[in-house]
Amino acid sequence: MITLACYNIKGGVGKTASAVNLAYLAALGGARTLLWDLDAQGAASFYFRVKARVKGGSRGLLRRKRKLEAAIKATDYPRLDLLPADFSYRNLDLLLQQQRKPGTRLRKLIKPLRGDYDYLFLDCPPGITLASENVFAAADALLVPTIPTTLALRTLEQLAAFCGDQGYPGLRLLPFFSMVDRRKQLQREIVARPDGLLKKPALGSIPYATEVEQMGLRRAPLETFGRAGAAATAYRQLWAQLQRALASP
Amino acid sequence: MPNAIFFPLPTGERLTGWRDRLVRSNALVADAVQQVRRDFYDSFDGRLSRTGTMLEHERGAHGGELRLRVCDGQRVRAALAWDTEVPRFPAALAPGELRRVLEKRLGPRALLPLASVRLRRFNLRAVDAEDKTRVRVRVESLGLRDSQGRFRVLRKHLCVQPLRGYSKDAQRIVSCLEQDHGLRPLCADLCALILTAAGSHPLDNSAVRAVSLRADMRADAAARRVLQAQLADMQAQEPGLIADLDSEFLHDFRIAVRRSRSLLGELKRLFPRSVQQRFGDDFAWLSAVTSEARDLDVYLLNFAAYRRAVPARLRPGLDPLQALLRDKRQRVHSEQLAVQLQSRRYRAFKQRWQDYLDRPLARRPTAPEAAKPLGAVVRRRSWRRYRRILRQGARIGPESPAEELHGLRKACKKLRYLLDSFAALYPPADLEAAIRILKKLQNNLGEIQDLEVQGVALNRFAMELRRRGEYNANTGAAVAALLETLQRRKTQAREAFETRFRRFARAGNQRLFRRLLKPESAEPPR
Repeated sequence: MITLACYNIKGGVGKTASAVNLAYLAALGGARTLLWDLDAQGAASFYFRVKARVKGGSRGLLRRKRKLEAAIKATDYPRLDLLPADFSYRNLDLLLQQQRKPGTRLRKLIKPLRGDYDYLFLDCPPGITLASENVFAAADALLVPTIPTTLALRTLEQLAAFCGDQGYPGLRLLPFFSMVDRRKQLQREIVARPDGLLKKPALGSIPYATEVEQMGLRRAPLETFGRAGAAATAYRQLWAQLQRALASP
Repeated sequence: MPNAIFFPLPTGERLTGWRDRLVRSNALVADAVQQVRRDFYDSFDGRLSRTGTMLEHERGAHGGELRLRVCDGQRVRAALAWDTEVPRFPAALAPGELRRVLEKRLGPRALLPLASVRLRRFNLRAVDAEDKTRVRVRVESLGLRDSQGRFRVLRKHLCVQPLRGYSKDAQRIVSCLEQDHGLRPLCADLCALILTAAGSHPLDNSAVRAVSLRADMRADAAARRVLQAQLADMQAQEPGLIADLDSEFLHDFRIAVRRSRSLLGELKRLFPRSVQQRFGDDFAWLSAVTSEARDLDVYLLNFAAYRRAVPARLRPGLDPLQALLRDKRQRVHSEQLAVQLQSRRYRAFKQRWQDYLDRPLARRPTAPEAAKPLGAVVRRRSWRRYRRILRQGARIGPESPAEELHGLRKACKKLRYLLDSFAALYPPADLEAAIRILKKLQNNLGEIQDLEVQGVALNRFAMELRRRGEYNANTGAAVAALLETLQRRKTQAREAFETRFRRFARAGNQRLFRRLLKPESAEPPR
C-alpha cells in the first residue's frame, strides 16, 4: 500500500480537490483505493455524499476501541472507499499528545489496511501540528499543491527544511502547481521556470477552473462530469506523472 | 468489498419483471439496461485457477475493464481499465497492481482465452437522502458462447452487492428477497460454473498426471503406465508448442521427453534391449531437435537479469544481443521445431511408442526384471543411483573439470525422475524431505552448468553480431561486463559446491535416503 498525503501548511490551496480527484483516478485505473478525510471540516466526505461522522470519534479510533476498518464506507465508485471525517478531528493534536509514541500513532493505525488497499490518500488539514507530523511519519510521499506565488514557494521551502531537519526517512516531497491563474503574469512566469518547485521541474500544474468549484455542487469527482475540461485533463496528467515518479527510485 | 449474494432465477423468467418488482417493493432506482461481454482467461496449466482466481475482461458501451476475480465470493483482487484486446503476457499491461499480481502468478506463461459469456443486466440501487448509493442489486442473464459462436442462456440470477459500511441496507434487501419473493441464496463459484459449462477448465491440462501404482504390481506394467502418462503430457503440449503460445509448452514437452528417456535407461532391465535401443534413440533425437529452441528461450527469459547484471549506462548496449536472440529463436521455432513436430518421423514415432505401451504384457518376458514387483525394482535402482551420486560427488575437488560436475548433475536428475515418477511408493513426508535435500544440490549444479554454457554461448553470439556488422563499442562493453558477472557468479557457485555436497552427504541425510531407498530396509515400501 502506498500512502500519499495531500498536504500544505497553507489552507485553501486545493488539497481536498486534489485528494478526491487523484483518489478517483487511482480507483478508475484499477487500484484498490482508500481516501481518509482527516480534515474536521469534512469537505472530502461531503464530495462523496458520506456523513462526516465516525462512531466513537477520533478518541475511539486512537484508543482502538473501534477498529479503523469498521469506519470505512464505500463510495459510489468501484474500488474507492472513504474513511469519513469527524468533527472531533479538530482535537486530534490533544488526543495524540496523550498517546504513547505520539509521533507515529497514525502509522500504527493504518498498518492493518496494508493488504486491503493499493493506495491510501490522506486529505490533511493545514498547519504544522502533531497531527501533520504523524502524517509525515505515515506517508510515503507528500503531495503538496502549491499556488505559484512567492509566499507559497517560501512556505514550500520551509516545509522541505522542516522535513529534512526532523528526519523522515523515505518520505518524498512531491509538490505540484495548483489553482494556477493564467491571467497573472507572475504565476505564468513561476510555472514556466524549469526549476519551478524545490529546484526541480513541477510534477504537474492544475489550472484555476470553475469546474473544480462545481465539484461542491455536483458532489462528485471532476472526471465524472467535466472530463473534457482543462482541469480534469491536468489531473489525469498529474496522476500519470505521479505514478511515474512513484515507480522511479 | 463484501462478497456478493446470488439468488438464481428460473431461466424462463423475464428480467424486466424482476426489475419492476424490486423497484416497487424496495424503492430501488433502476439504471438503463446494460449489455456486456465477459471473456475469461487463464494460463494453459491453470495458474490463476489454482490460486482461486480468474482473469476476466469485460467490455461494454462504457468501455472495458480487466479484473482479477477471486472466484469464491466474486471479490475483485485487482483491476485495470482496458479497452483493447487482452495481451498474451501481462508485461504488456500498464504498470500497477494487476500487472504485478499477474506477472507473479503466471511467470512465463501466456494468458489464453477459456470461455466467453454475454451478460444482459439491469443495475438497481438503493439510495439515501443525499443520493448516496447504499446497496447495489443486479438482475442478470448470463449467456455462454458455444462452439458455433452463438450465445445460449446459461443462468439468470439476482445479485445483491453489499457495499462496505452499509451492510444493513444489503441485509434488508436479502430479507425481502427471501421472505417476500421466496428466493434462496446460492453459494456458487460463478467462474467454475461458467468454465465447466464451457468444458474448458484449465486445471484439466495440469502437467502432473496422477498415475496409480502399487509396490506389488508387475514392474513392467507400472513402468508402462508412467511412460503412458509422459506421452500424454507430451501430446498435451504439442498444440501450444507448435503455435508458440509461450515458452513453457516446450519446457514441459522436454521434461516429458527427458523423463521418458531417463526411465527407459534407468529401468533397462524391464524392457527388451531392442525396445530400449529403438525408443531411446527416438527420445535422444527429440531432445536434440528441441534443445536449441529451449536454450534460446532460457537466454530470453533471463534477459532482464542480464540487464540488471551490467551497469545502467551499459544496458542499451545489450539491445542488439536481445534482438539477435529473438531473431534466432523465431527462426529456430518456425524452421526447425514446428517442422519436426509435424514431421512424418515424429508422427511415426508416437504411433510406434503408443502401440508398444498399449501392447499386452508378455506372460514370460525376456527382460530379466519385467515380471518382478515394482517396489523392489525401483528401490534397488534408486538406491544404486543414490550411492553412485555419493561416490561421484566425493571425487569432485576444486580442480575437477566441469564435465565431472555435469555428470553428477545428470545422475541427480536421474534419481529425481525415479523419485518423482514413483512417488506413490514412498512415505510422503520422507520423500518430500529427500527431494528437498536433493533439490538444493541440483540447484547448485544447475547454476554451475547454466553459467558455464551461457558464457560460451554469449561469446558465440557476440561473434555472430560481429559477423553481421551489428557489434559496436557499446555492445562490446556491455557483453564484456555481462561475461565478467557470469564468470564471477560461476566461481561463487563452484565454490559453494563443496558445502552443498557436504550437506547433501551428511550422516542424517544419508540415513533418510537409506530408510527411503535401500531394498533391505526394515520398513517395506507401501
